[in-house]
Amino acid sequence: MADNRNLINAAKEIVSREDVKYIIGYKRGTYGFQIMPAFAYNSKDVEGFIFSPLCAKNLTVYPMLEEKLPLKRGEEEDKRKVGIVVKGCDSRAIAQIIQEKGLKREDVVLIGIPCRGVIDSKKLEKMFPKQTELADLEEDEEGNYIITTNKTHKVPKTELISDVCRSCEYPNPVIYDVLIGEKIEDFKIENFERVENLENKSLEERWKYWENHFEKCIRCYACREACPLCYCKECMVDLLEPQWVRRSVDLSENTAWNVMRAFHLAGRCISCGECERACPVNIPLMELNKFIEKEVKEMFDYTSGIDTEEKPLLGMFKPDDPEDFVL
Amino acid sequence: MEEEFEPNIIGFLCNWCSYAGADLAGTSRIQYPPNVKIIKVMCSGRINPMYVINALQQGADGVLIGGCHPGDCHYNHGNYLARRRISIMKKLLEYMGIEPERVRMTWVSAAEGIKFADVVREVTEDIRKLGPMTKIRRKNAWQTIET
Repeated sequence: MADNRNLINAAKEIVSREDVKYIIGYKRGTYGFQIMPAFAYNSKDVEGFIFSPLCAKNLTVYPMLEEKLPLKRGEEEDKRKVGIVVKGCDSRAIAQIIQEKGLKREDVVLIGIPCRGVIDSKKLEKMFPKQTELADLEEDEEGNYIITTNKTHKVPKTELISDVCRSCEYPNPVIYDVLIGEKIEDFKIENFERVENLENKSLEERWKYWENHFEKCIRCYACREACPLCYCKECMVDLLEPQWVRRSVDLSENTAWNVMRAFHLAGRCISCGECERACPVNIPLMELNKFIEKEVKEMFDYTSGIDTEEKPLLGMFKPDDPEDFVL
Repeated sequence: MEEEFEPNIIGFLCNWCSYAGADLAGTSRIQYPPNVKIIKVMCSGRINPMYVINALQQGADGVLIGGCHPGDCHYNHGNYLARRRISIMKKLLEYMGIEPERVRMTWVSAAEGIKFADVVREVTEDIRKLGPMTKIRRKNAWQTIET
C-alpha cells in the first residue's frame, strides 16, 4: 500500500533525528487480525509500521505511562522527543493533554494520519470466530472492507465500523508535524442517537439499564488504564485515606466508580472509544462519555481537544452559565 | 404502626454565606425541618462531586449544596466553578437513572435566614415524596446481619 510506504518513509526520517527517542506506531500482531503497538528506536524497527482500519488502539497513552525514574547524581534528564502515529481522535487526546499541561508540544512529534474510521474488533470476532491465521483488512474506495483470510470477503463498512467512529467529527488530526496522505471530509453517520435513545426512556428504565451493566463490572480498571486522559499519578479510586470508593465489587461501589470515571472525563474525553474497547464485560462506557460531551456542548458550548491554548472546562466559568437548577 | 419516612439530607454549606444564613435562621428562631445535617465547607467550590456520591452511598437520601450568590463569593469565583461541576453532575445522575431532585443546589446569603428555612422545607418535602435512596446505598455486612 502506498500509504504505508509514505508512513514508513516519514517515520524513518523522524526516528533518525538526533532529538527523537523513539516512535510509537502500529505493526502486525502474531495471529488473526491482531495489531500491536510497535516501539521503533531506529530506522530498521520502522520497517514493520502499518496503518489500516484495524489500528484502533489509541497510542497516546504510552508517553503518559512511561515511568520516569529519579535521576542519579550527575545524570541529565533525557529530553528527547517521542514520536507518535496519531489518528484524528488521538491527536485530540494529545491536544487535550497539552492544554492541561500534562505534556509540552515540543515533547512529542506527531505523525498524523487522516482516518476513515476503525473497526470494532468485537464485531470482527463475531464475523470471523477463531481466526488464528494471519488475516488482512483493507478499505476500498466505495466504503467496503476487503477482508483477506483464505478467501477474500467484501463487507460493507457500516457492519464493522466502531460505534464511536460513526459519530466521528474530526477524522483529520487537529495537530500534527507530518501528515500522511490527504485530508478527508468527515463521514459522520450519526450524531448522538445512541445517547438520545436512552435519554428518551423513563428514569426507572434508565436505572435498570445501567444497573444491569454496573453489576457486571469487575472493577479491573482497564477503562482507566487504556484512557489517554486518565493519567493522574494517583487515582482517587486507589486512595486509602480517605477511601472514596471501597474495593468490594458490588453495585454501589461500581456505580460510584463509573460515575467518578465519567465525571473526571467531563470536558476532557475526546471520544476515541478506548475505554469501551478495553472493557472485558462490554459496559457501554462511551454512552456516558458521549452524554457528557453532548451536555457540555449544549450548556457551555465547549469541545475538548481542539485548541491547545484554551482553558479546561471545569477550570473556568462564565457568569451567565445556566443555573436553572439552582433553588 | 409503620413509621413515616424521615428523609436524611446532608447539607454542604459554604462558610461565608449559606452557613451564616443557616445560623441566622437559627438565631432568629425560624422553624424548619430538622432533617438537614449540615457539613460546613469553606467554599462551595470545595465540594468535590464525589462528596455527593459518597453521601448518597452512605445513607443520605438527598444532598443540599449551598453557596454564596453569584458574584458574592468570598474567594471571588468558587461558586461559579461549583455551579459548572454540579450542573454536569446532576445531568449525569439523571442520565443514569438517579432522581436529580436528590441533589439540590441553592444560593443563600448570610442575610437570608428565611430563604434558608424555605429551601430546607422544600427540599425535605421533595425528598419525602421520593422516598428513601436505595439505588446506590452501600451494603455493609454488619447491617444485614442485624436485620
